[in-house]
Amino acid sequence: MHPSLALLTWLTDPWTEALTRRALLEVVLLGIAGGALGGWVVSFNLGYSAESLAHALLPGLVGASLLGAPLLLGGAAGLLVAAVAVAVAGRIPGLDRDTAVAVVVTALFGLGALLALSPDTPAGLQGLLFGDVLGVSDTDLALAGGLVVVLVGALTVLHPRLLVIGLDRLSAPALGVRTLTMDVTVLVLLAVTLLVAVQGLGNLLVVAVLIAPPSAARLLTRRMAPMLVVSSAIAVVGAVAGLYLSYYAGTAAGASIAAVLVGTYLVLAAGTAAAAALTRARTRPTPEPAGAPA
Amino acid sequence: MHDPADLTTPTPPPATAAPVLLRAAGLACGYGAGAVLTGVELTLRAGDRVAVLGPNGGGKTTLFRTLLGELEPVSGTLERQARCAVVPQTERSRLDFPVSALDVALMGAVSRLPWWRRPGKADRRLARAALGQVGLAEHADRTFGDLSGGQRQRVLVARALVQDAPIVLLDEPFTGLDAVSADRLEQLLLQLADEGRGLLIATHDVEQARRWGTVLCLNKRQIAYGHADVLTRSVLEATYGGEIVDIDCAVHGHHDVVLPAHHHEH
Amino acid sequence: MFDVLSLPFVQRGLVEVLLLAVGAGVIGTWIVLRGLSFYAHAVGTAAFPGLVLADGLAFPATLGAAGTGLVVALGVGALARREGGADRYDSQTALVLVGALAAGVILASDVFHSGANVETLLFGSLLLVDGHDLAFAAVASALSLLGAFFLHTRWLVVGFDARTAPSLGARSPLPDAILLGLVALLAVAALATLGALLATAVLVVPAATTRLVCRRLGPWQLATVALVAAEGVAGLWLSVEWNAPPGPAIAVLSGGVFAVVAAGRAAGLRPLTAAAALVLLAVGGSGCGALEDGSGHGVRVVVTTTQLGDIVREVGGPDVRVTQILHPNTDPHDYEPRPKDVRETARAKLVFVSGDRLDHWMGDVVHQSGGSPLVVDLSTTLPVQRPGKTSGPEASRHDPHWWHDPRNVEAAVGVITARLARVAPAARARLERRAGAYRLRVEHLDRGIARCFAAVPPAQRRLVTDHDAFGYFAARYGIRVVGAVIPSQTTQAQPSAQAISDLARVIRREHVRAVFPETSLNAKLAHAIARQTGATADHELYGDTLGPADSAGSTYLGMERANADAMVRGFTQGADRCTIPLT
Repeated sequence: MHPSLALLTWLTDPWTEALTRRALLEVVLLGIAGGALGGWVVSFNLGYSAESLAHALLPGLVGASLLGAPLLLGGAAGLLVAAVAVAVAGRIPGLDRDTAVAVVVTALFGLGALLALSPDTPAGLQGLLFGDVLGVSDTDLALAGGLVVVLVGALTVLHPRLLVIGLDRLSAPALGVRTLTMDVTVLVLLAVTLLVAVQGLGNLLVVAVLIAPPSAARLLTRRMAPMLVVSSAIAVVGAVAGLYLSYYAGTAAGASIAAVLVGTYLVLAAGTAAAAALTRARTRPTPEPAGAPA
Repeated sequence: MHDPADLTTPTPPPATAAPVLLRAAGLACGYGAGAVLTGVELTLRAGDRVAVLGPNGGGKTTLFRTLLGELEPVSGTLERQARCAVVPQTERSRLDFPVSALDVALMGAVSRLPWWRRPGKADRRLARAALGQVGLAEHADRTFGDLSGGQRQRVLVARALVQDAPIVLLDEPFTGLDAVSADRLEQLLLQLADEGRGLLIATHDVEQARRWGTVLCLNKRQIAYGHADVLTRSVLEATYGGEIVDIDCAVHGHHDVVLPAHHHEH
Repeated sequence: MFDVLSLPFVQRGLVEVLLLAVGAGVIGTWIVLRGLSFYAHAVGTAAFPGLVLADGLAFPATLGAAGTGLVVALGVGALARREGGADRYDSQTALVLVGALAAGVILASDVFHSGANVETLLFGSLLLVDGHDLAFAAVASALSLLGAFFLHTRWLVVGFDARTAPSLGARSPLPDAILLGLVALLAVAALATLGALLATAVLVVPAATTRLVCRRLGPWQLATVALVAAEGVAGLWLSVEWNAPPGPAIAVLSGGVFAVVAAGRAAGLRPLTAAAALVLLAVGGSGCGALEDGSGHGVRVVVTTTQLGDIVREVGGPDVRVTQILHPNTDPHDYEPRPKDVRETARAKLVFVSGDRLDHWMGDVVHQSGGSPLVVDLSTTLPVQRPGKTSGPEASRHDPHWWHDPRNVEAAVGVITARLARVAPAARARLERRAGAYRLRVEHLDRGIARCFAAVPPAQRRLVTDHDAFGYFAARYGIRVVGAVIPSQTTQAQPSAQAISDLARVIRREHVRAVFPETSLNAKLAHAIARQTGATADHELYGDTLGPADSAGSTYLGMERANADAMVRGFTQGADRCTIPLT
């Protein structure tokens, strides 16, 4: 076979199955949404919320199943309770928001685990809301599409206010930005993203999409708007690369994407550190000729 | 209060033979490769009270961090003959932090100890003495966040005393203080100078700067350094780049009062 | 009410919690003060790859967790210093955590193909506490006290104002590195009792609670140690009363205490009033957890799985009092034994286990009970055995799902009858009569199922299922297992894009008409495969466990009958059914 044809085959081979094509579409959609929201998650230091709020699905889920209510509704209720509780508890003086997250999520997750022990609770309940990137359904895809629209819309509208808080939280009220309202809004957006994305991708992968691409993008640009775009781009490219890895190396799909995204960050971090060292060495006026060791 | 006329520390060159604590020549400071502040030429001697004037972003903080050794000079030379202590702005410290005034003062002992040693009895005595020196002996066991702004500032000065550094950098210590607190702090600074310390005090108050005798004006570069007489209208304009408003009133005498251009901190 | 304290495992748990309380209380205050909550959570959760490695390479789990903890501590410290903020570890922590978890999943899915032991450690168990854990907790607490004593001022200086800390002479990165290391040590120490996901219940929540009422560090630390100890002891007691793992009990208790104290403070109440309200709440709650006893009278027997429970009840009738540990629809692979299991086992004369590592956790239960029941491993005396597939120390010599061949069940009935008759000689005749009748029904079922499948053309008998539990069934009735959606005998693994694509191709090439999700597992992947290949995924199979009381699979006979019917309907696309009258 001609080499270029072989390359083409290599490139297209993973997508011959509809399963992997769906997975691709899902990760691209959630890469766009997660990369953009992730920029704010990283700026506002919401990493813990992003990682742990999904645990708050559990009590809502179990509660709903015990009451005979729709599971998704229960999960959403659990997440919203957690998001609002975190925003409120984080305002107690002396406690930072991460401590608030620890308190809220530990208690809710413990409650969920206790309720799940009830003989009336169906087994594998949590599994119902924790998806695998290869098991994506049409509903998941539709939800992900909706999420992109809602999230990009909301982030565009809120952008100026978010910038004010990100720059200087203390003087935000003086500029007419209500910090509690914005905290709750961001956490609720995060909760909605988790509710949708966790069903499609599983928790690990969602956290990876929310954290690693914006952290990497921050190394490349310090301005917020370009950073969000770069972050989304890294998320999409990394996710596709992860799927290739999973296809050709035969490694677990979700974990492969997560590993590629974190790896991208590490490579960029090492690269920018080396570049900075090089610049310093060049610009520092030294008596030695150019090319002196850094 | 000291009359400005009392303080005629001539600089540079100095007539007094007080030991030099710090000398900078052609110093440029900045982060990484780019210099934020250039052309710093200064000699700090024991007993100096230097007012550091300049707009926000003029390079005061960068200079302080360079003097403290947190930033490497971008170019030029910096000779530090003695250790530096810093008194940060009090609102930067967390007011909800669960520590007493004594705990904060005791933090000054850290610099003298290897990392695994905890401060001992002698250090506690020193910290209490320092609190006494700033007039807060009876408040030593009160929670830091419960003290008034002026008291907190004095606790941080006590911390610098415990550090026993001949050079003390103060970052806008008068910000947000009422008149009484400001007076107490001012006397404390004079006392420190009399003990032979060299003080660099960032401030926006030109009036104060004149009282202290020596001024350092910065705006991305060093505009002037020397006796307060250098504070001419043109120097002030170069420093602040903003309009200068003359306020002719009995209290202030006939000095220029500057309204810094972009100053919205309080 | 307090007789539970006489149980050895509860006593050991109490010692563990009290030992842990000293370190967790002191370091907990530093976690809250220095904003390390997320790190404290992450360093425990990131133990996952360490646990997988420990499981796969057969070294102690604590070592694996401690190793990962150290790597995470170093990684977070290094990344945080790179980003230049010694006071914030947030996204660095998340990055390291994601990396660690991804590594863990890949190790579990693609390297060791195992990890059933791992889940237990993610949630913790009182029964897992052994002498090593006690020693580890003691060492962790002792080191924490030492560290907190000597480095107090250093940690304070950085927490008070990280930016001026260097100018105060606090330049060495070591004190902060030691703090991160101590948090990691305590998170690992808390792993055994509380599990990785709930270590924050002692490391963060109590310190956050006391922070609401304490204004100064010294009293705050004392109060936190006392609160951790109190919540730990109360939580342990509740966990035994509620028959729940200690982690969730302590988590809910400490969360509740926080909520009450926070609400009380907001309402201007005194802390004492709030505490009183809380005690009332806890005592009220403890009434809800009354223990149910094994049914009937006669010989006390403990069985592990639901299908074994059914078989032993059929044979034993009113002559035995069966305590069955697993509930319907509980996955035996990752079951975590509960306090009641130990109590019941302590009183039992006989224990029947399914064997081949399916219910290996029962060994701990018997060991902890302090009793000396006779343990009968039914997997050792089977006529039909298939090789196990899982590699690593989890590997069993044989595929553990032996009950899906009815001939094995007939043999097991014989062993069960003989063992029961030995401990209850007076009931021998009745036992043998019931066993004989039951064996006839199993034979009848076996013949019926064989007849059903004989009617299906061999080319159509192709099975694709979640979690390949049906090797015995397939071999017995001439069914070819084409693939499993999760091709592994444990349920922890995640498939690769390659495996799924290959499977989809095979399904189409072989004209497989149905894929069968197992009832106790997540069926999402199976449905996705079915949707794509045009096969149906509407028929569910009972694999590792019976269904609940009102389902078709509520008994062993019903389970196999329902499986046969589902398969026949799937193979024939609903054209045929398999109905066997249960005699």
